[in-house]
Amino acid sequence: MNDPIPSLPVLIARNLQRDFTLAGDKTLEVLRGIDLEIYESEMVAVRGLSGVGKSTLLHCIGLLDTPTCGELIYRDGESTWQSPGISEQNRCDLRNRFIGFVFQFFHLLNDLDVLENVMLPSIVSCTSSQWRKKRSKVETRARELLQRVDLEGRARQAPGTLSGGERQRVAIARALINNPRLLLCDEPTGNLDTRNSESIHTLLRELHEELGTSILVVTHDPDLANRADRLLSMIDGKFHD
Amino acid sequence: MQYHSFLTRRYLRRRWAPWTAAIAVALGVFSLISVLAVMEGFKLEMRERIRGSLSHLVVKGGALQGLVGEDQILETIRSQPGVLAASPFVETLAIYKVTRLDHCLVRGIEPVQESEVTDLGLYLLDNKEIDELLADPYKLLPDDRLPSSAEEIDNTFSLERRRLILRWKGKGEGFDEESPPQALVVGIEALRSGRLAMGDVVQLSSYSPVTFEPCTGKFIVVGAFQSGVYEQDQRWAYADIRALQEMLDLWDEEAQDMRISGVSVRLEDYSLAAVAKQQIEAEISRRMELSTIDETAIPWRPSEVLTWENQRENLLQAVEIEKRIIAVMMLLIVAFAAAMIFLILMLLVIEKNRDLGVLRALGASRNGVVLLVLRQGMLLCITGTILGLLGGWLLVENINYVHDTIRDLTGLQLFPPDIYYLERIPALLRWEDVALVCVPTLVFGFLGSFFPAQWAGRRDPIKALHHE
Repeated sequence: MNDPIPSLPVLIARNLQRDFTLAGDKTLEVLRGIDLEIYESEMVAVRGLSGVGKSTLLHCIGLLDTPTCGELIYRDGESTWQSPGISEQNRCDLRNRFIGFVFQFFHLLNDLDVLENVMLPSIVSCTSSQWRKKRSKVETRARELLQRVDLEGRARQAPGTLSGGERQRVAIARALINNPRLLLCDEPTGNLDTRNSESIHTLLRELHEELGTSILVVTHDPDLANRADRLLSMIDGKFHD
Repeated sequence: MQYHSFLTRRYLRRRWAPWTAAIAVALGVFSLISVLAVMEGFKLEMRERIRGSLSHLVVKGGALQGLVGEDQILETIRSQPGVLAASPFVETLAIYKVTRLDHCLVRGIEPVQESEVTDLGLYLLDNKEIDELLADPYKLLPDDRLPSSAEEIDNTFSLERRRLILRWKGKGEGFDEESPPQALVVGIEALRSGRLAMGDVVQLSSYSPVTFEPCTGKFIVVGAFQSGVYEQDQRWAYADIRALQEMLDLWDEEAQDMRISGVSVRLEDYSLAAVAKQQIEAEISRRMELSTIDETAIPWRPSEVLTWENQRENLLQAVEIEKRIIAVMMLLIVAFAAAMIFLILMLLVIEKNRDLGVLRALGASRNGVVLLVLRQGMLLCITGTILGLLGGWLLVENINYVHDTIRDLTGLQLFPPDIYYLERIPALLRWEDVALVCVPTLVFGFLGSFFPAQWAGRRDPIKALHHE
């Protein structure tokens, strides 16, 4: 395991709240003042029952959703970004370079082959001229990542021809292509059998140790949760010790 | 951004349905380009033929009063700069009966002078040509036909020819070779329809604008012309101006002169018609206001100067309006194609909802997603437009070959020359018409793509990612 108290946080969440307005002007409070710090090279797991707000927390931290109130601070070396106050362009850049997403349902693009899926975050961030210069470098990195997740021979296969576990490995390689500072995993083994789940748990832990990427993983799976540096339990939109 | 072109290629390469919209756009553009080119060709052909049978300018008197002082008017007009020739004419509607009662517009002319102001020499037929055109109802005079000489034109209306025709046709109706009826040259369609025949002695009946009494005159059909304008070739007839003046009893007591309907004018350069028209109008008005004892004075009569386009303004405008109406109606095809792009993109956005959510999660902006969908729609639209333009251009360039091939294969005459009065289908593709087709097509395509693109941009990425 890594040092449980690393030097500086890459993410700070303060008093994060997220309310949803329901029919009849009723309000559903999903996040009720979350405070969270994730340090460099730290793996944090969040456990909780369905509907307690784990995914909503991940969406807010991943800048796909906007909290009703509260503050999010992202740090990359000397640079920091503080939400609210991040421009739309910076939100996109943070999602692209600072954050990597791993979803429960893999969410690979079926019109692209495995290699193209892995390269997609780099493609999204480049203009055509930038891509012409960077393409070979990105492709080399994508092939290295595929090799690392044991899929080196599958680069030109369609995602639909892969098993669930293999698809999740591709999704993990895709999430790491831009060397993100923070990997957000939403139930990464929630759609896999035990054998594949075990393999993904091991892979995530190994990659975490090799790359030093901070990981926030939301899971029901006690095995994955127990492999984290820190385990947080979430009940009714709050963390409980 | 790179992912726009990258994903557009991937999405469109593996699906055939979106390309149906491109094909629909191509068909719309193809139809519009072809129709507009053929209509433009028709318009120009018709203008050219009408222009040939009319002079550049016409100085016209009122329908009843006409003009008097023919010599002074001709001298006035001929003395204006830019005027090449001028020729007087008398014009009247007349009815006649040979095999059946019919009507025509008779133009009394000085034949040789008229050939200097119009293309009469180009379309006045000799005996051999009349026989050939009567033998083949679809035949037209060749474009490179040499105009008849002044001598040949003069000869067509001459006493000798009237005598010759009368002799050939046989005496009748009280005429003999010494005093044959006046010459009448009719349109070839009047002969082709069988209403008239060469050598027919025709009694023309009209009303004198001077006495308001009915008047008649006997004429003999001595020749024919083919102007290329169907209506004129069916209804127009030329006679000698003096014979027609006599028949219509156009002696003006007040002016002590024969009335004329007007004077046809040919200019050196038709592009200067507006200037020449003003000069002639001003000079004629000035001379009409001079004292009657002045030798250069022209007796006052209401008059106007018209260009040939003014004279056929209604017809030319009708053709132009018809072209515009057809263009607008056919743009509906393009609008339909744009609606197809709209529907296909909406379906694509629904199908690719999850992909769009993933792209947002991977760093694509809302506007980036909008542009991605917009790009796909515009690619389909532009591809369709280019294909349609190419197809339309190829058809326009080979329209007669295509027509002949269809006729040879099926026996179907899509373009009967006796109806359209053209041996070949005229077609002209203008840049203005290409722009008239392309700009609305691209605008429709943009509108058809814009709304699905906006809708895609407004989709919630969290909902898209939530479920498999």
